[in-house]
Amino acid sequence: MKRIYLFTFALICSAAFLPPPAVAQGAAESSSVVAASSSAAVPLTLPKREGSLRMAVFGDAGRGTKDQYDLGKVMGEYQQAFPFDTVLLTGDNIYGPDAPADMKKKFEDPYKALLDRGVKFYASLGNHDTSNQRFYAPFNMNGEEYYRLEKNGVSIYALNSNYLDKKQLDWFIDQLSKDSKSWRIAFFHHPPYSSGGRHGSDDDVRLVLHPLLVKHGIDVVFTGHDHFYERVKPQDGITYFVAGAAGKIRKGDLKDRSPITDAGFDTDLSFMMVEFAGDEMHFQVVSKARKTVDSGVVKRRD
Amino acid sequence: MKSVRNRYGIALVFGAAVTLANGHVHIFSQQKDASSGFEDRVREYAKQRESIEARLPAMPKAATAAQIESHEKALLKAVVAARNGAAKGAIFTPEAEELIRSIVSAQYKGRDRVQLRKELAEAENASVPVKVGSVYPEAAELLEMPPTLLLALPQLPKQVRYRFVGTSLLLVDRENHLIVDYMTDALP
Repeated sequence: MKRIYLFTFALICSAAFLPPPAVAQGAAESSSVVAASSSAAVPLTLPKREGSLRMAVFGDAGRGTKDQYDLGKVMGEYQQAFPFDTVLLTGDNIYGPDAPADMKKKFEDPYKALLDRGVKFYASLGNHDTSNQRFYAPFNMNGEEYYRLEKNGVSIYALNSNYLDKKQLDWFIDQLSKDSKSWRIAFFHHPPYSSGGRHGSDDDVRLVLHPLLVKHGIDVVFTGHDHFYERVKPQDGITYFVAGAAGKIRKGDLKDRSPITDAGFDTDLSFMMVEFAGDEMHFQVVSKARKTVDSGVVKRRD
Repeated sequence: MKSVRNRYGIALVFGAAVTLANGHVHIFSQQKDASSGFEDRVREYAKQRESIEARLPAMPKAATAAQIESHEKALLKAVVAARNGAAKGAIFTPEAEELIRSIVSAQYKGRDRVQLRKELAEAENASVPVKVGSVYPEAAELLEMPPTLLLALPQLPKQVRYRFVGTSLLLVDRENHLIVDYMTDALP
């Protein structure tokens, strides 16, 4: 009997020290891995490692609708459990007029909880955004339509895919050639890869950008424009995401059995949370109904 | 006799080749003139607008929505006043239109052209009043300019953007949204 107790005790101790299961790049991990959080009702699949970069990513949000506000509330709840301090906006930040009252209704109020906690938003421009948003202080664009920032050793490039002219491409190439960071990510509006029916892959943007992104070691790209969530199978080593479901959902727009889809969700609004820890980027995608609809790990390209 | 005929034949062929080459060079030279003329005229607008903007309070790089709105309106008012009487074709001259149509035509053939027409037709910018001196409405979609086309078209200063509305190609001020000039039937 004593041996059984000792054996069981040993088994429990060894299980406590086992590492989490490794997940191959591009494969989804089931949301059965749940970590306890400070807010008991919020299930997380993210490891919350010390010193990690924690962000949220979403786009196509700025409508001022109840849906947007509802998802903003969910973001606030998750931020308390997974304290991200950065948000990347994949464009279409404000639909329609952008007078002061509109900015309040379509951005400041839906995300008030996050803004009040000091979360910094970094915007890229979509086809419904005017260039003057680059001056808007809460978007942290510092007067530029495209820019680079660095956080916790991760290089983050915001591009303006509405107007990919020579000047912007030259700047991008110049920056990438000088970049010594091991993690490099980019975010912009028009997806080079997307299984959307309404828009889908932007072939012209892909033609011009994808070779540059491959050549210069970009690991992950976040885009919007299509109003759903999609994780695309790695393309020449790059994992592309479509995160355009924060304001409106285009139900059923994600093509069935698309050869490029690894995971997708097009029946409710959603947003992403990501965590960069060492050579891994963990991600969790949460819907307005507070369901985890995708999660997993992307390993940094060599 | 045979050698004389041969020499004349060679001279004829050579002469035709030179004429043809000169023709191509002439066309190339015309296109280059049209392109540089177009770029010069756009730069003139940008210079005028810069000098107007320099007289306004500077826009901070981290501004409030109210500051942005105020600056945009003041800049628009001042530029419109300075350009009173500006007419269509001041920048898109007939030679420039021909050049741009040839560039667009070369970039978009067959299926690509059909696809572009479809995208232009579906854009949410039918409310844009295509008229010099009008303002591109905030609520209207800013259709993405295809990057491959942007690389082929004459380059613009940062203050001015190409924009498609239907098959018309506009020059639009990036900050005050003024329609500076436009051409119709840019997509053959």
